[in-house]
Amino acid sequence: MSPPLNPQGEAREIKTLGSASLDGTPLDYIVVMAAVVAVLAFIPFSITIGSGGVFPLSQGIFPLLGWLLGPIGGAAASGIGTLIGVFLAPHTAGIPPISILGAVMGSFAAGSMVIGKRRRNWWFGLTIIFAIAFFVYTRRAFNNGVSVPIIALGSFIDWSALLLFILPTRTLFARWINRQDLRLVGLGIFFGSWMITGVSHLTQIAITYAMFNWPEETWLFLIPIMPLENLVRSIVGTFIGIRVISGLRAIGLMKPTEAIY
Amino acid sequence: MNILASLDKVSYFYPNSTEAVLKDISLEIYQGEFLGIIGPTGAGKTTLCLTLNGIVPQFYGGRFFGYVTVAGLDTLKHPVSHLARYVGAVFEDPETQLIGTSVENEIAFALENLCVEREEILARIPSVLEAVRLEGTEKKHPQELSGGQKQRLAIAAALALQPSLLILDEPTSQLDPIGSQEVFATVKELNEALGVTIVMVSHAAEEMADFSDRIALLSQGEIIAQGTPQDIYADIECLATHNLRPPQVAQSFFYLQQKGIKIPQIPVTLHEGLQSLRSLQETTTVANLDLPQTNSRDRQIPLLSTQNLTHIYEDGTKALQGISLNIYEGEYLLIIGQNGAGKSTLVKHFLNLLQPTQGTVKIRQKDSQTLSVSELAHFIGYVGQNPDNQIFSMTVEEEVAFALENVGYDRKRIDKKVTQSLQEMGLLEHRDAHPLSLPKGDRARIIIAAILAMEPDIIIFDEPTIGQDYQGSRAILEVSRQLHQRGKTVIVITHHLYLMPDYAERAIVMGQGTILLDGPIRDVYHQTDLLESTYLTPPQAVLLAQELSQLSQQQYPVLTPVELAECFVP
Repeated sequence: MSPPLNPQGEAREIKTLGSASLDGTPLDYIVVMAAVVAVLAFIPFSITIGSGGVFPLSQGIFPLLGWLLGPIGGAAASGIGTLIGVFLAPHTAGIPPISILGAVMGSFAAGSMVIGKRRRNWWFGLTIIFAIAFFVYTRRAFNNGVSVPIIALGSFIDWSALLLFILPTRTLFARWINRQDLRLVGLGIFFGSWMITGVSHLTQIAITYAMFNWPEETWLFLIPIMPLENLVRSIVGTFIGIRVISGLRAIGLMKPTEAIY
Repeated sequence: MNILASLDKVSYFYPNSTEAVLKDISLEIYQGEFLGIIGPTGAGKTTLCLTLNGIVPQFYGGRFFGYVTVAGLDTLKHPVSHLARYVGAVFEDPETQLIGTSVENEIAFALENLCVEREEILARIPSVLEAVRLEGTEKKHPQELSGGQKQRLAIAAALALQPSLLILDEPTSQLDPIGSQEVFATVKELNEALGVTIVMVSHAAEEMADFSDRIALLSQGEIIAQGTPQDIYADIECLATHNLRPPQVAQSFFYLQQKGIKIPQIPVTLHEGLQSLRSLQETTTVANLDLPQTNSRDRQIPLLSTQNLTHIYEDGTKALQGISLNIYEGEYLLIIGQNGAGKSTLVKHFLNLLQPTQGTVKIRQKDSQTLSVSELAHFIGYVGQNPDNQIFSMTVEEEVAFALENVGYDRKRIDKKVTQSLQEMGLLEHRDAHPLSLPKGDRARIIIAAILAMEPDIIIFDEPTIGQDYQGSRAILEVSRQLHQRGKTVIVITHHLYLMPDYAERAIVMGQGTILLDGPIRDVYHQTDLLESTYLTPPQAVLLAQELSQLSQQQYPVLTPVELAECFVP
């Protein structure tokens, strides 16, 4: 190994003057990841009719985009990719504005899983939004005559995700994703994906339920299906995420300012 | 001459790196000059280029020391978008630089981003297309252009910004010889006719010696030497120390000098070399040469054969026309030809990736179309041009084991084969590393290890030396030699003819879907008229040997600088 260099030149302050970045994330990263989301939107992965349609594979990577690009860069990439996907792959689009909202909220929430002190309170504002969404959703179900145990079982992915988001588990998963040990990275991505896709689902379901008002019979049908779907999202996110993160680390590509990997 | 750009004590560390990639670099670039930058892989050449347009450090961050000034502008104080008006950049792969849906859109793109008036954009498009000799292609889609044309379009797009300085980082490494010649000729013309200052990074020693006004040798982040091509390329020992290849003409005369023959000045261009050879032939005794004969193979049963193979693509392109070819066990075969000659189409038939429109492909007398993928994998291994396209696992070990798992080997056997292959490729210590964390040469070796583990009879290397420096190219070809020595049949497709005499026995020249020439490499390389008619450049040692044959009225079918030096007695 060569001896450490003691540069003769004057140390310079570096500024990003090209303005080709969004919240510290280069625009080309956002463009590339938006393209990935749009491509994955073509692939349906739901095994059920779900809430009236199939889900795109891209839902599995919304959390990943937040961890890779930060809250704003990730939300932009997910939102743009989903918007394009809505037009190019209408078979997986669901209700387009709600799909885009879910994508944006998912990546934004994931990007808010910070480790350091910067933006450490952003989660609190998000928690209030998710809590209101949960309240609106369950109250409406209750008013529609759905019994409390059925609501509790049918909204398992939502309340479990909300709890994980409120508790220190949010930071724990972020720390795991940040670790060098790929087993911990995998666990962080898996549980992080469960949590983020759950709260993302919560923001969407509060609106879709208000539109469709499913009776208790539909809830019974969805009780086993929704956790299964969220599990698939988490597995997809983990499968892709662990490869992307280990690859990015290996090639040493410049890391966006807000990335946590 | 006026200084256009300068680097003053520049050092740079990429983020999270403790090793400086540039170390106290001071360099001046003069108005109107053609500056070549040479150096081994990892020397810091690309980083140095990126400091000139501000991308380093403005995009990458890290730690930066010293000053870079271009046209009087400090590159740390002006945004990249502003510097782009003064510095144009063209990179290695033309495919990754073109985004427009037509040639004129491609040129207009950067100008539109800089808010240049529409009338001005429309005025600049024809003038830059004329400068790179692409007139008449305005409405074409960039993907309709050849490799050389694409790279010239990338140059035109950079030129449209009317930069004072044009940086070209390995612009010819992905191109075939004709594309490479087109780019060098275009760049030189821009330099001479329009006065554009050129900074070019390239491993193409012969062309750099011909076209550069001045060369800077960079190694491990430091400038080792600067001077005229004569100063740099005649210092063979210095080049060797830094794993760089001199032009063959310089190497040939260096070997003569080493033999004790007086050479007043080592020539570095072919023109100078031919002149020196004429003088030398008058003053020095020319010897009879006893050259090694090519091994004769058992030509009874071909390992791989094609009979009247024709392939017509769906769009009507006739890519192969009645190819009949026998490849024998243990051969080392070189396939050469321009892009579009049919080389890849031919190889795809070997791999069963394409089916013949007419004719047959047989492997060990079996029609290749009757073989399953796993059977074929036991017969033929394929090392593609870009190893990254064949890598998808998270560790080197998993990558090598992938095919073995898919053909159903048990774990114990897989472990044994993986360990053996990694050992042979010198990758054992990296078995747990992520493949992408290794240098490109090593990544190519991972693919070779994965193929070795399958123990195929035939191994095909498709342009294995593209994007590699001299040391990397030799390392890969040494692997091919080892495989050949172990009895494998090796097929190499390459445009780098100068690298192959030490390895290949037989060469096939393809053109327009047919075999133009098939014979021992020595015979093929000396068919210089035919090679040049297909825009293939014979190695300089071959051209010097032909001149010597003409001068001495004796035949000197030599292929390498070492053999050429053997032709003279001190």
